Amino acid sequence: MDTPHYVAARVQQALAEDGRTNELGIRVDVRGDQLFLRGQVTGDDQRHLLTEVAQEAAPGLTVHNEVTCVEVRDPGEEEQL
Amino acid sequence: MSIRVAAVADIHLGEAQRGSYRPHLEGIEERADVLLVGGDLTRHGTLDEGKIVAEEFRGLPVPVVFVLGNHDYHSDVEEEIIAVLREAGGIVLDDTAETLLGGRLGVAGGKGFGGGFAGKSASEFGEPETKAFVRHTREIADRWRVALKSLDTEYRMVLSHYSPVKETLHGEPPEIYPFLGSYLLAEAVDAEGADLIVHGHAHAGTEKGMTPGGIRVRNVALPVLRRAYATYCLGSEEC
Repeated sequence: MDTPHYVAARVQQALAEDGRTNELGIRVDVRGDQLFLRGQVTGDDQRHLLTEVAQEAAPGLTVHNEVTCVEVRDPGEEEQL
Repeated sequence: MSIRVAAVADIHLGEAQRGSYRPHLEGIEERADVLLVGGDLTRHGTLDEGKIVAEEFRGLPVPVVFVLGNHDYHSDVEEEIIAVLREAGGIVLDDTAETLLGGRLGVAGGKGFGGGFAGKSASEFGEPETKAFVRHTREIADRWRVALKSLDTEYRMVLSHYSPVKETLHGEPPEIYPFLGSYLLAEAVDAEGADLIVHGHAHAGTEKGMTPGGIRVRNVALPVLRRAYATYCLGSEEC
């Protein structure tokens, strides 16, 4: 089995470079045969693609996608500078 | 008289988000005099995504100023994206400056670039690849000085994608700071003076920071703000 450290690095590169995702800020951790994705994306479709790309880059591991979608709230109060 | 500036970055619109951001911009004219959008408008930097962004901001009742981000360069059609944004009425800064609001506000800027922060930054030394990386940032900073010098306005702002300071990166892994911004950008703005710098790029960073020269810096990346845009009031009177 590959060293978890390198598997995580490979998945992170795939998430950044794969044309389906191009997500640079996703944290990837491998523990045993479990792979965890954490971070934030702007759409639900993007979150599902992360699982797909990660699974392809790390076949045999169980992918847990803990990535959340950014919730866009109203502008809120202004700041006086 | 004070002015109100709305700002956001890293909206990362793709096909699935078509039409999703526009509703958040309803009534913006009640809250702000101008809207600044600090790059990473798209996900993959395709022209189709650029067109989605252009439509999202077309015909707003306040001027909209854009810079591109690294994602918007990914498909090598940045010039075409700039053209569709301009065609839709947007102002796009590419290491240039623009005067708005009848001469009251000047905005200078562009995407910026990385290299790191004072004392822990890359140098123009060694392999050509390293030199080119650092030179790119240095040339951008030089163009920002020229752009800022050209502004003779009541208020001056800088709009960037990459960060000029470390403070607004807090929350990001320190190992990647050199890819998130450069102190050369802050040094240029400190030399010429400005009232506010806004940037994006650092999704896990912090909203508020300051340059070594005391200019306020705001990271307006959407995942940092978690709201449609931030609004800042410039001037001594309350907005």
